Order: sequence, then C-alpha cells, then structure tokens
Amino acid sequence: MKKLIVFITALLIILPVGVLFYKSQVLKLSLVPQMVDDVWNFHMTVRPKGDVNSFAFPIPKAGPGQKVTDEKIRSREFEVFVDSNSDSILATWSSKQLMKGRISYSARIDLKAISYKNIPKDYAVTYPKGLEKYLKVPKLLDEDEEAIKLLETAILEGSEDKTTLIRKIYYYVEEEIQRNTDIKTIHETLNTGKGSPLIKAKLFNIMARRKGIPSRIVVMVRMPELKKIKEGAKLRFTFANEVFLANKWIPIDTNRGYFGERPDNFMLIHRNYEEVEKLISKKKVSYSIQAERARINRYNKAEFKKEVIKTDSIFSKISLYRLPLPLQTMFTTILLIPLGTLFLSFARNIIGIPTFGIFTPILLTLFFKETSFGFGMLFFFVVIVIGIGERYILDKFYLLAVPRLSIILTLIIMLMLGYSFYSVEMASISQKHLAFFPIVIVTTLIERLSIELAEEGVLNTLKTLLGTLVIVLLVYTMFFAPVLEMFMFTNPELLLVVIGLQILIGKYKGYRISEFIRFRDLVRQKKKMESLPHDLP
Amino acid sequence: MIFHDLKKMGILGINNRVGRYILRHNKRENYPLVDNKVLTAERAEAWGIATPENYLIVENYGSLKHLHLKLLNFESFVIKPAKGSQGNGIIVIKEIIKEEKNGEIRVLCRRSNDKLMDVEEVKHHISGILSGLYSLSGQSDTAIIQAKIDKHPIFDDYSYGGIPDIRVIVYEGFPVMSMVRLPTKNSDGKANLHQGAIGAGLNLSNGFTNNAVIRNQVIDVHPDTGHKLSGLRLPFWREILELSARCYDMVELGYLGADIVLTPDHGPILLELNARPGLGIQIANLDGLVPRLEKIRLEAPKNLMAKERVDYSMSNF
Repeated sequence: MKKLIVFITALLIILPVGVLFYKSQVLKLSLVPQMVDDVWNFHMTVRPKGDVNSFAFPIPKAGPGQKVTDEKIRSREFEVFVDSNSDSILATWSSKQLMKGRISYSARIDLKAISYKNIPKDYAVTYPKGLEKYLKVPKLLDEDEEAIKLLETAILEGSEDKTTLIRKIYYYVEEEIQRNTDIKTIHETLNTGKGSPLIKAKLFNIMARRKGIPSRIVVMVRMPELKKIKEGAKLRFTFANEVFLANKWIPIDTNRGYFGERPDNFMLIHRNYEEVEKLISKKKVSYSIQAERARINRYNKAEFKKEVIKTDSIFSKISLYRLPLPLQTMFTTILLIPLGTLFLSFARNIIGIPTFGIFTPILLTLFFKETSFGFGMLFFFVVIVIGIGERYILDKFYLLAVPRLSIILTLIIMLMLGYSFYSVEMASISQKHLAFFPIVIVTTLIERLSIELAEEGVLNTLKTLLGTLVIVLLVYTMFFAPVLEMFMFTNPELLLVVIGLQILIGKYKGYRISEFIRFRDLVRQKKKMESLPHDLP
Repeated sequence: MIFHDLKKMGILGINNRVGRYILRHNKRENYPLVDNKVLTAERAEAWGIATPENYLIVENYGSLKHLHLKLLNFESFVIKPAKGSQGNGIIVIKEIIKEEKNGEIRVLCRRSNDKLMDVEEVKHHISGILSGLYSLSGQSDTAIIQAKIDKHPIFDDYSYGGIPDIRVIVYEGFPVMSMVRLPTKNSDGKANLHQGAIGAGLNLSNGFTNNAVIRNQVIDVHPDTGHKLSGLRLPFWREILELSARCYDMVELGYLGADIVLTPDHGPILLELNARPGLGIQIANLDGLVPRLEKIRLEAPKNLMAKERVDYSMSNF
C-alpha cells in the first residue's frame, strides 16, 4: 500500500515535469507566452500661433522598432488631411474660419530598441533618386567651409569606405563637440567646439553629406522615466541622425552616444527635420507632449497559440489556447483554485492556521481578485459585522435559524444594490458573469460564522477570522503573480503535480507548527520535573 | 529543538492522530453512533451501559408548542443538542418555577448559574438546536431533555458550578490515558478545557491525580476552592475503566474518547462518546500518548475481554 502511494505520487509529480521538459526542450515551446512590451499612451496637443485657418504638424509613423495603433486624430471642429510619404506623416488641420483652440492627437505606441551591429563596409557611389535630397549640402559661410575642410583632412584622411567615414564623423561630433544649448549656429560651433543637440545633429548631417553619404536629421521624443511620468512631465522634441549605409537607414545619436542603435525610449515623430523645421518652430506653434506607460494584455496569447499549433504535436490539439476567449479567461482564474487549495492544505495541516470552513478562504480570495482588494476587504468586514450584529439583534426576536440566515442574505443583497449606485466594481462583477459569486460566498461565510460564533464564542471566532484573513491575503498575493496564472494556463498538466503534492501533505503525520506552541509548556514542565532529583524508594 | 522534544516525549499531534489512529481504526459508518447522543443512548441501553435518563426527545418544531406543560413534570433537567460538540448548546435547568398572575400561568426556569429563563426563551433555544445551530455539521438536529445529574460529594472541594467529568482515551478497547475535568468559575461552571476548566491527569493504575493544568499552566490548587489538587483519588476507578473499555465493544471505534460522570447514587455512567478526542489530555498528564498507543498496537494480546484489557492497562500504564 505504502509503495503504491509512493509510486502514484512520484508518477503524478514526475510525469507533468517530464511533459514540461519535453515541451520546452524538444518542441522548443516557451513555458509561458512572451510578454507583450509595455506600450505607451502618447498624447500631443498643438496650438497654432497667429491667425491661420490651416496648419500642418508631424505625427508619428510606424517603422522599424515603432508601432502605432489606436490613433485619434479626427476632430469635430477641423478637417484633417493626412499626408504620408514613405518615411513620415504630416497631418494638416484646416477650418473655414480662423483656427481657435488647439488640436489634439493621441495614439498607442509600442517601442522596441533597434540595433545594427557589424554594419558592413559601404563603397556605394550612386543612390536611388529618392535619396538625392539627403545628399544636398546646405550652403555655408566661406569661413566655415574652410574650417570643415581642415577638420576633414585632420580626422577623415585615409578612410575609403563610407561606414568607416561615418564612424569617424560620429566619434568627432560625439566626443569633441561639447553640449551647450546656447550655441545655435554652425559658425559658432566650429569656433567654440560647443553646440546644442540640434546643432550637433546638423554638423553631423553636413559632414556626412559632404562625403556623399545620405543623411538626415530625425525629430524624436524621448519617453519619460517612470518617476517623471508620475509628475506629468511635459516632453520636448529632440534630435538625432540617420545615415544610409549598406542599404539601410542606420540610427545615430551624437548627443546621447548611440551608433547604430536606438533605445526603446525614443519615439520618431518625423524622419526629415528639414521638412518640418518651420512647422515645429515655436514661432509658429505651441505644443505639449505627454506619454505614459499603458499596460494592456501583458502576455501575447495569440502569438503563443500560433507557436503551439506550429509544433503540430499532441499539445497543439489539446492546448487550452484553442478554447474560445471567454472560456480561456474563465479557466485562467479557475486553474488558480487548485494552487490556492494546495496552499490552504499546507497552512492548515502543516502550519495549523485555523480557517473558516475549508474552501471559504479560497472563494474569498477569488472574490477579492475578481473585484478589487479594497472592495473585497470592505465586503468581508461588512459581512462580519452583520454576522456578529445579527446574533445580538435578531436573537431577541426568537427567529428560527433558516429564516434568520435568509434575512442576512437579503440584507447583503440590499447592501450590494446600495453600493452599486456609486461603484464601478459592481459593474465589473456583473460583466464577468460573476454576479452570483459574492452571494454564494456570503452564504457560506455567514453560515459558518453563525455556527462558529455559537460553538466557539466571539474570541475564538475572531481568531479563526484572523487565520482566514491571513490565508486570503497570502493566496491573494500569490494569485496576483501573472506569471503563475499564465504558467498554469499554459501547462495545465501541472494540476497532476498539485494532486501529488496534496497526497504528500495528506500523508504528513508530523507535528504542526502550531503544536509546538500548544505543547511548549508541556515540554518545559516535563523537563523541569525530570531535572529534579528523584526520591529514592 | 522542540520538534525533537515532542517526538521524544511521544506527544501525539493532530496529523498523526487523524492519519494513523482515527482514519485507520474508526470506520466512518460508526460515527453516527457517537456523534448522535440519541443513538448512543439507545445502543448503550441495549448493551446495559448506564447513561443519563432521557426524559424527552424533541424532533420537530410542532412539539415545542406544549412543551412547557411537559416540562412542569420535572424538577430539573438538562437540554442538549443530540449532535452537539464541546458542550455547546447545553443548558442546565435546576429548578422550575410556576408563577400565576391574573389567571395566567407563567413558567420560569432557573439555570445552574441562577439566571432565570422564561419558558419562551427555552423554546427558542430548543428551536435553535433543531435548526442545527449547534450540530457538528450545521445540519438539523434533535434536542434531548435529559435528567440532570448531581455532583458526587467527592468533588465538592474540587469543582465550581457544574459536574466534573472523566475522559478516558480508549485504544483498541484498552484504556490508555485518562483525566478528570474540573469546572471553574472561569469556565462558567463547564467541564470544558478550552474555556478554562482544570484538566487533572489520572494514574491509570489507581485513579489518583498526577498533575493538573489550566490551559497550559500547571497548578497545585483549585483557583476557586483553594483545595489542593494532588491526592484526589476517584472512587469506582476500576468500574470507570471497565465502562470505558466496554464502549469499544459497543461502538467498534478503535480510537475513542469516553466521557464518564460519577453519580452519587449509581456510580459511573456514560455521558457521551467522542470519535475525535482532543489532545489536551497529554498536557493534563504531562505525558505523551504515542508510546502507550504503540505498546498496545505492538505488544498487547488480542481478543481480550473488557475486564482483561482493563487489567492490562492498569498494570502497564
């Protein structure tokens, strides 16, 4: 018998772990779906200065490392015209009257870092026609022309391929030109060795084009750090470069020191500064930009479903990801219940924490999870107060137990009605088809509470309540690790492991932690007695 | 390390009690015999085991209507739920007072703590019992109106309020450990260890107290009477052990707690049985159950009569 139990337990634990191993090592499946990157909610308002009845402004466009969704650009007051070339988008707002007020643009933007390592040497001589505008060298003062020529002989001598040239220009502008926001012309920069971010980008641009390398200045927004989001920081435009090397536009940032890469906190708003220079000038418009992180759909279930189906193994047929979405949502929650009961078994049988009923703590936790922590706690305490209060008030009426409990239940429903008038949580419960959930929980809770109060007295009941609350809090924290939820949903065979572990807990015959406390005095007394000298017969 | 100490002293823990003794030796189908006091009483009568006399069994709300008239027949009584546990829901009425005012008869009950209860309150309490407020699982229940037992004079100095009772743990029919529970003011006159009654361990060989505790604290004297607790020797000791040993034959539960009271006139009688007796008895005795249980499991001869099993226990423990 004992051997059989050991065998079954071992099987229950090893089998799913083996399956897990097979899935990850042989089928190369990930154990949880990939995280969807944090997305930004981007918001921009622009107000034209002066009397105009139309104006244009750049808006972000999708491209490498940048996805734009949920754009909101239309407005009731103005007509909007969107002009999209291959690299950038200009939106034009117009109105029959003079424009008053501001326009607003918002979008959800998904940013990924891009990085080009080992850019091959580039000896290109001719470029497609579309790139010609990126080769035009702006007219400079003779004096500056001379200065740049000197510079070129000093730093670029002996380099043949364009990749190496760009690298050298980058090093020069990045390291030798000090950042100074007061210096705003090429002339000053060449004389002082200092320059504003825009001027550094301009200088780099000129030097690249002079060497026949297509180059442009890009207009970016640097997304705020977490701390600054909270402060609601206003964002500004900032500048960097892109050069066309080895048939790709390579990002270069001489201000922040990135060569061939762009971190995921920079969003491109326009890829050719020359085109929008006037449009974004502060003389023409005033604008304000805000961005904050939006966490939605943290796991990419859709991608994972494809991944599973592609393996063409048995798992592609029995994966929970094939279920309709509402069922999936339901099961993600339901699959947490066995984990909760596992924890409960441990807490009750190994630690010895008293709880209300057996599964009430788990039901309560689910209720907390489905609504919100604050609401759950409030509900819990109100129920407790009503439960205890009824013993003192309804007791006087000499009512039979069933009608009495029914009255409490009705009171709870009235409470829910009252609360629903100013609460969103209530709405969210009914949306999840869980409207009956609180009622079921309250029924079990009140019944237990009533019995417990009669049998154990108020003090012991409060102790049990505290135990229940501790379990609820711990399981609640556990339930809130999204990885756990996804892990169980992705690998439901782990339920067998749960059964295996439950058998182990069920077979545990050792002391509970609480018994150390209970028998502590016994041990002490006994030791004391044994240490006394024994009377001789 | 306390874990090691507990093990060395052979303290029985809850998990071990349930897993190794209760689940192994107690068949679920026999539980109703001990969980329901009406069934216990019926079975005990058939086996010639003395129990308190049941005056009335109240099974439905309808019979509550004329209950007060029936109650007038008794001088005193106890109301208890048939499926109750730990003494919950028990009310002891020591006197019935009949008052006549303006031709209306009013019945008052004086409780053991001298509080007066209107008969309507008594009825309400009984209806609470019927609806299952005090039953083990919360299911509907039966109320028992039972003869009130008087205190044996030996306990006069050792008890405050209610009646002390004697708990004997019986394993495979062998008494293995015993204690007497002495009510205190703190326990509200109830013989309930959780509420603060004294638990005094008893030597199985002679019925002498060996140690006494309130909750976890060792005490020497009764806190209310000031009487020294050591040196109390229970009369009818052998009868008490035999009675408890016979309960094994009666309900066929291998691990069992028998609660016995001493009556002034009839000696020991069985009050109730418990299929999941508590572990506090070890604290009262300052000793662990495991060595005794294991000795019986491994060494004691099988198929003995109750008397022989008591002999074995008295000479071994």
